[in-house]
Amino acid sequence: MRAAVQALIATALLHGALSFAEAQAVTVRDALDRSVTLREPPQRIVTIFASNTEIVAALGLVERIVGIEAFTRYPPEVLSKPLVGGRLGFSVDAIVRQQPDLVIATPARQAANQLVEPMERIGVPILVLQQRNVAEVIANIRLLGTATGVQQRGDDVAAQLEARIQRVERQVAGLDRPSTIMITGRIGNGLLLMARPGSYTADAIMLAGGRFAFEGRGLLAQISPEAILNADPDVLLFAGNQRDLDELISRPGWRDMRAVRTGRAHVVSRSQLLIPGPRTIDGIEHLATLLQPRAFQP
Amino acid sequence: MKSWMKSWMKSWIMLALWLVASLAVAACAGHDWATPAELARAAAGDDSLRSRLLVEWRMPRVLAAALVGALLGISGTVFQGVFRNPLAEPYLLGSAGGAGLGAAIALLVPIGIPQWLLLPLLAFAGAWGATATVVMISRIAGAVDAAGLLLAGVAVAAILAALRSFLMLALSDESVSLQVVLSWTLGGIQTPTWSGLGVLAILVAGCVGLTLRLAKGLDVLGLGETMATSFGFNVRNFVAVAVLIGSVVVATAVAYGGLVAFVGLASPHVARWLMGPLHRQLLPASALIGAIVVTIADALARSILPPTEIPLGLITAIAGGPFFIVLLARRLRS
Repeated sequence: MRAAVQALIATALLHGALSFAEAQAVTVRDALDRSVTLREPPQRIVTIFASNTEIVAALGLVERIVGIEAFTRYPPEVLSKPLVGGRLGFSVDAIVRQQPDLVIATPARQAANQLVEPMERIGVPILVLQQRNVAEVIANIRLLGTATGVQQRGDDVAAQLEARIQRVERQVAGLDRPSTIMITGRIGNGLLLMARPGSYTADAIMLAGGRFAFEGRGLLAQISPEAILNADPDVLLFAGNQRDLDELISRPGWRDMRAVRTGRAHVVSRSQLLIPGPRTIDGIEHLATLLQPRAFQP
Repeated sequence: MKSWMKSWMKSWIMLALWLVASLAVAACAGHDWATPAELARAAAGDDSLRSRLLVEWRMPRVLAAALVGALLGISGTVFQGVFRNPLAEPYLLGSAGGAGLGAAIALLVPIGIPQWLLLPLLAFAGAWGATATVVMISRIAGAVDAAGLLLAGVAVAAILAALRSFLMLALSDESVSLQVVLSWTLGGIQTPTWSGLGVLAILVAGCVGLTLRLAKGLDVLGLGETMATSFGFNVRNFVAVAVLIGSVVVATAVAYGGLVAFVGLASPHVARWLMGPLHRQLLPASALIGAIVVTIADALARSILPPTEIPLGLITAIAGGPFFIVLLARRLRS
């Protein structure tokens, strides 16, 4: 009798433990349409790329990050974490050394190509996130909240950011949208790199009340300075520092551009607008003040 | 005769030992070096993350590197034999350009076929298709000789490289960067699964078999076109067939390893110094040498600059170039 009761209790306990484990298991679908199951909330996370690191940090889980890549600079707490990759690629060995239970990556710079297959083969869950527009950036925060077992926190962070975007949208609604070009880089042969339609950066410009100067174009990211002069945008944005912008707009031709003459050539933050994380919303708010200054006058 | 036999046997044993040693070192090499004991534990079925990494990722890659090297060695020997030119190399007749274009399409154009299948398939098709086009052009032009093939090869390669560059600029975006395609063209062994490795091994065996059938013809061709013709040997047909077979071999190498510079050029030379000019020995020896070189180069690529991996083709060119120059200088002096 006693043995039977013991067995019953043991079974009940076991069952309880199992259902607890089952309740904790989470399955999410990533940007490559892969279904990734996490049996329990990950405690050792390798975040490839600044955006993914920033999202995990925004979820309050910075101490769970055990590996980053060389171009991650924010938040400061992660700078001392071990590096698992850099400009030339990512190291499967270095990732495995950290004994991770989750790897988060983005398809940029070969990360997905180099890491998804080995991680799948050795059984480390890997999530690949994409950020083609601002809505996807926010969705990624919710997804990572769910995947890391802090769903409520993910919802809260995402909802706060959404509210801020909606506020900006309300403020710029109905106003004339200035034609805008954002230069994101320069290449040696004099060509310029430009934020293209279909990217989260372009989406940020639209949300902040701008309009693309090259409507419908965007096959190549690199365009000639002549095309920019020709488009003569109302606002010229330069993702970089003031000195480089000053140098660019002091060139012949550029001085006479409408945006330069009317004082609407501005520097914007690379870390806000070229890293698709929570700080992108700071970037949208700042962009709105540049694109629609009247809406923000006291 | 006896001393000749002895030095011949010695060369084969030496090559075999080198291959075994390089495979062993390469299996240990990585950003985290493994000890032989760790390798043994992993092979015995240990279930730690690290052991799984060694068994599922590193070991198949080391073996794939050796097999790709063997293919490069074989195809280099065929091309040098056909063109009777020590500067001939496997990528001579447009296969590099074709493979590059195929890979760019596979990496950049969403077609809906999984990439692990599409990439080697299109790389193979591009490499072989380009060479077949070159052979066809020079046939139509009535110039299936070395000069005709080379000129057609240069033209086709230029067109294909330009198409690839345009695709790279037009289709790369935030998620698929230029770097993915560029890095592929610089060479890098795709790590196969164990069953994929089996397929590769069968392909390599097939390539060895096919090219060994060319051995006699290549020897005859080595006597010179006039001499070969006077033996009743159909030079034009043989050249076309040999080039097409050689490019099947190089296309297979490209599908699994991208464009690996220099190995196909250097391996046949080293093989010739060790084994003499007869292709029946030259082909397998060159395969072994290619396997040794790529195994070591891949181990370096994976280990010397943590946490990043250097493209394999850069290692083979940077390390292989001076090595080859030294060998050449010693050879010329003696």
